Amino acid sequence: MTDQTSENFGRREFLSRAGKAGISIAAAGTVSYLLYDNKGPKTGIDTEELVTLPDFSIPYQQGQTISIVKGPDRVETLKKAIELLGGIERFVKPGEIVAIKPNVAFASPPMLGATANPELIAEVVKLCYSRGGAKKVVVTDNPINEPASCFTLSGIGKAASAAGAKVVFPKNHLFKHTTLAGGRLIKNWPIFFGPFEKVDKLIGIAPVKDHHRSGASMTMKNWYGLLGGRRNIFHQDINTIIAELAMMVKPTLVILDGTEVMMTNGPTGGSVSDLRRANTLIASTDCVAADSYGCGLLDLTVPDLPYLAKAEKAGAGTTNYESLKPIFATVG
Amino acid sequence: MGSVRRRSKRLESAISICLLVILMVIGVGVFLRQFDYDISRFGIDTAVAPQLEIPFDLGSLAPAGFETLSAGQTYTTENLYEKIDGKAPLYTESGFEKLFTRRFVSKDDESLLMELYVFDMDAAKNAFSVYSVQRRAEAKDLPAFAFAYRTSNAIYLAHGKYYIELVGFSESDELLKAMAEIAKRIRSELAVGDDIEIAELSLFPSENSVPGGIKLYLSNAFGFEGLTDTFTARYKIDGETITAFLSKRVNSNDAQLTAESYYNFLIDNGGVAKPTANKTIKAKAVDFYGTTEIIFVVGPFVSGIHEAENQQAAEKLAEKLISKLGEAAKAVKDD
Repeated sequence: MTDQTSENFGRREFLSRAGKAGISIAAAGTVSYLLYDNKGPKTGIDTEELVTLPDFSIPYQQGQTISIVKGPDRVETLKKAIELLGGIERFVKPGEIVAIKPNVAFASPPMLGATANPELIAEVVKLCYSRGGAKKVVVTDNPINEPASCFTLSGIGKAASAAGAKVVFPKNHLFKHTTLAGGRLIKNWPIFFGPFEKVDKLIGIAPVKDHHRSGASMTMKNWYGLLGGRRNIFHQDINTIIAELAMMVKPTLVILDGTEVMMTNGPTGGSVSDLRRANTLIASTDCVAADSYGCGLLDLTVPDLPYLAKAEKAGAGTTNYESLKPIFATVG
Repeated sequence: MGSVRRRSKRLESAISICLLVILMVIGVGVFLRQFDYDISRFGIDTAVAPQLEIPFDLGSLAPAGFETLSAGQTYTTENLYEKIDGKAPLYTESGFEKLFTRRFVSKDDESLLMELYVFDMDAAKNAFSVYSVQRRAEAKDLPAFAFAYRTSNAIYLAHGKYYIELVGFSESDELLKAMAEIAKRIRSELAVGDDIEIAELSLFPSENSVPGGIKLYLSNAFGFEGLTDTFTARYKIDGETITAFLSKRVNSNDAQLTAESYYNFLIDNGGVAKPTANKTIKAKAVDFYGTTEIIFVVGPFVSGIHEAENQQAAEKLAEKLISKLGEAAKAVKDD
């Protein structure tokens, strides 16, 4: 045995083979080192790529911050509410591009009140063009359900298009990351930014709804549609995220539709018996004030919705809507 | 000796070639695999809905004159919010497993559209809970089913471990008829096994009870976290609407402790102890901001009356409930 080994595997042969093996290991190691990616796939973005949503608000005008109009016909109450605040001309100037962000969260028919009413959207689009002289009106949202179904079944897509608006569905390239200054939750988070990047004015339109998690869904909660990613994680701290959204989004005008209010089983509802007629429409430049009045339509008070106080504390508006001297009116 | 060496060299060469081939296969495998890594491990949502089995082909439930509209969807706890947003916690905190949905449209009139939601709630109690707490005020019971009602545009039912919604996109008799047809087929074709009995439902006295007035709160009943699996039932007595409640605990000791905790919770939150007028009932009464709370224990049951406007009527109901629970407690003891 020893003889055979010494004959087959002499010292010279051993050194030769050992050398070759060493070279092979070194080569493999070098290649591995060169190919090794110690960073892994990119999961975040660089700070310089963060975006900030523009400020769409208009100068404050005492006594013309909130109007509350009663009446069964939401188109008529809408027209009156805007007129009482100085007309659409105050909010939209000739040649401007306007984005309208309705609540189109669900693939649900208008009858169920889970989404903004299409007649209302159409009327605002028409006003922007006819009285405001807008160059272009964009209607967009990042719904919870599949966008095409939501815009179709809610009737908003058809109504907005018929009124001359461009309907924009969410696409990956339209999302950019943002960090809210002073925010705790909105940090390096994707938002639906593209449609709002180059517009001059922003109008939010939302129905008044019961909401299982937050208590109520109104104009502030409507901005939830701007969040991308796995936004449901924010449901764990719903009051903070709604308050932060109110800090992040500075709209030109918000319209809160309480003509029919989803009193129970929100935010989806499902039965017409979840709705109650309140025949009220609110227009305001202050989301917090609009929602603070709107919560009463759900038989709630301001303390019932902690996000209102949080938003007020953060400077997003006032819960004391009466201090703004609301303009009341009745139509029909 | 030379032939041995040649054989050895050939063997070594063959083994080396085999090893090289294996290494190449591994290398190619690694190369290909890198294009298909698990993105979720890096905290990135794949946004791909999981493929799960469905109880049966929901599409086959299309009633006469209707057809399916687009493919069915399946949701889990991970992505339920994509369908129902803020309402998801109501289900996920009640044992939710999966949701299957399907839309149907009339072949003759595309405005006649409906959506079927089948929530797999894992247990009959869970399904009954989400069914009962969402019950609509204008509900009309469907007597052919154990737990089902309709509104002017929808049908809701609990069937074993499933909670089912049929939502019409318009108010139409034709839609309601079609939805009722689907509901009947679900009842007969969707197997639920033996897990359909909810014993507590029969423990409430039936006299003066409001039809469809029983609800099940799986947690935090009346804002008190110690009250889990709590059934409530509504009654109309002497013109007053009164709510009775009961929760079966592990044993009578546990029931005593829960009752004490709930009593203390009421006192800590502004309640004031008061005597019961009816001395035959062994219970604690609390004046809670002008309403009467009555708490008692019968065997393993914590029970009572919640926020009654009329103490006399409340005690009348408490007496009946104690009697009924006494029979059940005796049966539990006998077992």
